[in-house]
Amino acid sequence: MTAVSAPAQPRRLREMSGQVGWAVLAWVVGIAFFLPVLWMVITAFKPESAAETWPPQFVFTPTLSQFRLVFSGMGPFLTHSVVATIGSTILVLLLAVPGAYALSVHPVRRWRDGLFFFISTKMLPIVAAIGPLYVIALHAHLLDSLWLLIILYTAMNLPLAIWMIRSFMLEVPSELLEAAQLDGAGRMREITSVIMPIISPGLVSTALICVIFAWNELFLAINLTVTNAATMPMFLISSVPQEGLYIAHLSAAATVASIPVIIVGWIAQRSLVRGLAMGAIK
Amino acid sequence: MASVKYVSASRIYAKEAPPAVDALDLDIRDGEFMVLVGPSGSGKTTALRMLAGLEPLDGGRIEIGDRDVSGTHPKDRDIAMVFQNYALYPQKTVAENMGFALKMQGVHKDERNRRVREAARLLDLDDQLLDRKPRALSGGQRQRVAMGRAIVREPKVFLMDEPLSNLDAKLRVQTRSQIAELQRRLGITTVYVTHDQVEAMTMGNRVAVLNQGQLQQCATPRELYDNPVNQFVAGFIGSPAMNLRTVPLADGGVRLAGGVLPLPTAVLTGARQAGLSEIVVGIRPEHLHLANGSGELAGEVILVEDLGADALLHVRLAEGGDQVVARTEGRKPLAPEQHVTFHVAPDDVFVFHPETGARLAG
Amino acid sequence: MTVIEDLAPPPKVEIRPSGVSRRDRWLTRLPLLPALIYVVVVTQIPFLVTLWYSFQSYFWNTPEPARFNGLDNYKAVFTNPAFRGALVRSVVMTATAVIVAMILGVAFAVLLDRKFVGRSVVRTLIITPFLVMPAAAALVWAGPMLDPNFGLINYLLEPFGVHHVAWLSVHALGSVILVMIWQWTPFMTLIVLAGLQSQPPDTLEAAKVDGAGALATFRELTMPHLRPYIELGILLGSIYLVNVFDAVRLMTNGGPGTSTTNIPFYLYQQVNNAFDIGGAAAAGVVTVILTIIVATFALRMFARVFQFEEAQG
Repeated sequence: MTAVSAPAQPRRLREMSGQVGWAVLAWVVGIAFFLPVLWMVITAFKPESAAETWPPQFVFTPTLSQFRLVFSGMGPFLTHSVVATIGSTILVLLLAVPGAYALSVHPVRRWRDGLFFFISTKMLPIVAAIGPLYVIALHAHLLDSLWLLIILYTAMNLPLAIWMIRSFMLEVPSELLEAAQLDGAGRMREITSVIMPIISPGLVSTALICVIFAWNELFLAINLTVTNAATMPMFLISSVPQEGLYIAHLSAAATVASIPVIIVGWIAQRSLVRGLAMGAIK
Repeated sequence: MASVKYVSASRIYAKEAPPAVDALDLDIRDGEFMVLVGPSGSGKTTALRMLAGLEPLDGGRIEIGDRDVSGTHPKDRDIAMVFQNYALYPQKTVAENMGFALKMQGVHKDERNRRVREAARLLDLDDQLLDRKPRALSGGQRQRVAMGRAIVREPKVFLMDEPLSNLDAKLRVQTRSQIAELQRRLGITTVYVTHDQVEAMTMGNRVAVLNQGQLQQCATPRELYDNPVNQFVAGFIGSPAMNLRTVPLADGGVRLAGGVLPLPTAVLTGARQAGLSEIVVGIRPEHLHLANGSGELAGEVILVEDLGADALLHVRLAEGGDQVVARTEGRKPLAPEQHVTFHVAPDDVFVFHPETGARLAG
Repeated sequence: MTVIEDLAPPPKVEIRPSGVSRRDRWLTRLPLLPALIYVVVVTQIPFLVTLWYSFQSYFWNTPEPARFNGLDNYKAVFTNPAFRGALVRSVVMTATAVIVAMILGVAFAVLLDRKFVGRSVVRTLIITPFLVMPAAAALVWAGPMLDPNFGLINYLLEPFGVHHVAWLSVHALGSVILVMIWQWTPFMTLIVLAGLQSQPPDTLEAAKVDGAGALATFRELTMPHLRPYIELGILLGSIYLVNVFDAVRLMTNGGPGTSTTNIPFYLYQQVNNAFDIGGAAAAGVVTVILTIIVATFALRMFARVFQFEEAQG
């Protein structure tokens, strides 16, 4: 094997030092961006006495007492969040898949209008209707109920889900659909046997995004629930007392509240990336 | 305009794997049209990209016009490249595509326009196409824009990576001659990569045949056809491919199709001296002449491919069941199951070493 | 790509339409109906109710029932400096956050587009702020990060001459915007990254051979290619950022004074503090109308985003 010849070296060296510099810059940015999350988790392990000090303490005796407090209080909130999130996500998928189908593979005549209508509902701030929403919920006996949250979260996520799933469906090669038609597949069969398997990664990313937005939702929860349907974001707020030290406890609550979505997002990162890009732009 | 030299140039992707390009030595003369040809994985595209500076060298060096460019950035090598999929800038118009390199060089807008128009004229590109974007063009038009982008630069070397492979057959033949004609007119050294040996034979001043990263032979098309230096070249050049069979040595020749095919004594002596009991013989389809019953090789016709001017006969040889292909005149209609015999001139029989594939000339 | 649907317009003459095509049309519409009906019911009914209440005088802290009061609520909205202020602040907050997040997004995407040691780890780190619960982000930034007495930021900036700044008092708006940017830059980064990775590599090589350096390639090739991605990011980001509530409520509670009150928070205050259902409804309707106007302009500018490619059939 011939050794690397001399003229090739200066360029290789330049390339290598460029590589190192790039990596350093990227790592600095990554760590800087992650720092608040890191600090949140660190603070969660502090006793309150070590949490509100100057200078901030980096070395201390970690304790699980904050987490114990959090776990003891969060039970119902956690359940409510899980039910509302998963319930609304399932409902979203059930409605969005056929809806997206009718806007992509076998489109209705006015699919442009349909798509625009769905997107437009996201542009109008839900905040504008919160008063009347409260009144409606009151009269419908849905106030402070998980069903209300499921209904509203579904409406919140449906437009985005339809847009995303539609774009995934558009990527199904038309030859596959034509072959299925020649094989005598009706529309149901077309959806279940041809389209669903191909877009299943896309369904995962859509579900992921719905879970993220539903789990983290605060505005509707805080205005329309009290105790029977109070979700994790509200638990978090309740951990800020009127007086007394609370920073470490708050950090523990914040960590626990955020961890599920963070873990899921990390694991399904690729799916998330793909979903966010949405293939909507060809 | 400049000469190009590969001096023991190598590209190794993984330490355990064989090199993609293995110590390539190639001298390309100033103004020459050199074709790099070979099957997939032969290293021809890699070698081209090394010349472009898009692949680094793991050994050896590359010179353009006596200047070692091994460590030089592509933009400083004064080369222009036509990519297989054209690589046109999608958001720019045809004129902007063609003038891009000049813009990077800081050439003034008027001068740029002038040169772009000149190149467009040379390539038969209508003026109205100049303001269109690539997606509004046909495949053939895009190909010409890609060429125009290269021509406008008046570089020292043209590099072309299978520029015709995405065109339909008829357009390919037409464009082939246009490219060859263009190169003759402009006189710019050109290195052209293709897997199609017909393109190689018709376009190149010289052709370099590569296989698995190694140069097999570099010669004029005529020389490659008449004097292949090994079995690979012999089987690669020529269409349909040369018939190659491993046969045992016999007295005065080799045993084939129930008879003995005579070979020159020198070849036989050489083979015996090398301790061989079998050798590989190669006969081109066009050298198998139909002999009415008196030929050395007998067989039965299995399939007739009538091409109009010629016919290709697929013949199963007697005793052994080997199949060969023979080219005959189209006018002599033959049918399957007919028995035929062939005569072949001793000079038209190539002999190769059964293991190394090297040509045994005796 | 063939579109299988009934393309003929309904005939003017009374001809009985063939059973198949009519049935076919309804079969095509059927899958859309559940989602469509659901969204219409859940979003339009509250809006209609809002519209109705906007013409009523209705307060929760009194026993009086709702009473029609014509355009009084609307007059109040337009003369109310608090509403105008909230509107201005919404625009400022959204525009600043979207623009800065996009600029950072492009920068980070470029950073992540090249291979380097631990690239996937860095990407994970950069994505995380988007995953953090906004309420948690707001509280963590308000407390452990920005507090004047024990906040990490003050500690890190001390060597630079910054001493115990009460960020949420002195730079309230900036702090809230900072958190908005922190949470949404990953979103922009990922969209732009998808754009960068969808660039055909051979055009980049062609640019190299054509003499374009890294900067020229980015300016001439990459940015035009990224345009639809950037527009999508800005559009979607704006839709979500204009509705930001958590950070405002939990970091500054709209203050000091009203310096960080945006529209969502203003409406929340109207309902929860002023118990003014009618007034909130009118403000809500005005907000909706303004949003429609802005969105129409935005869509005209960003027409490319809605690449209504012909659907498959």
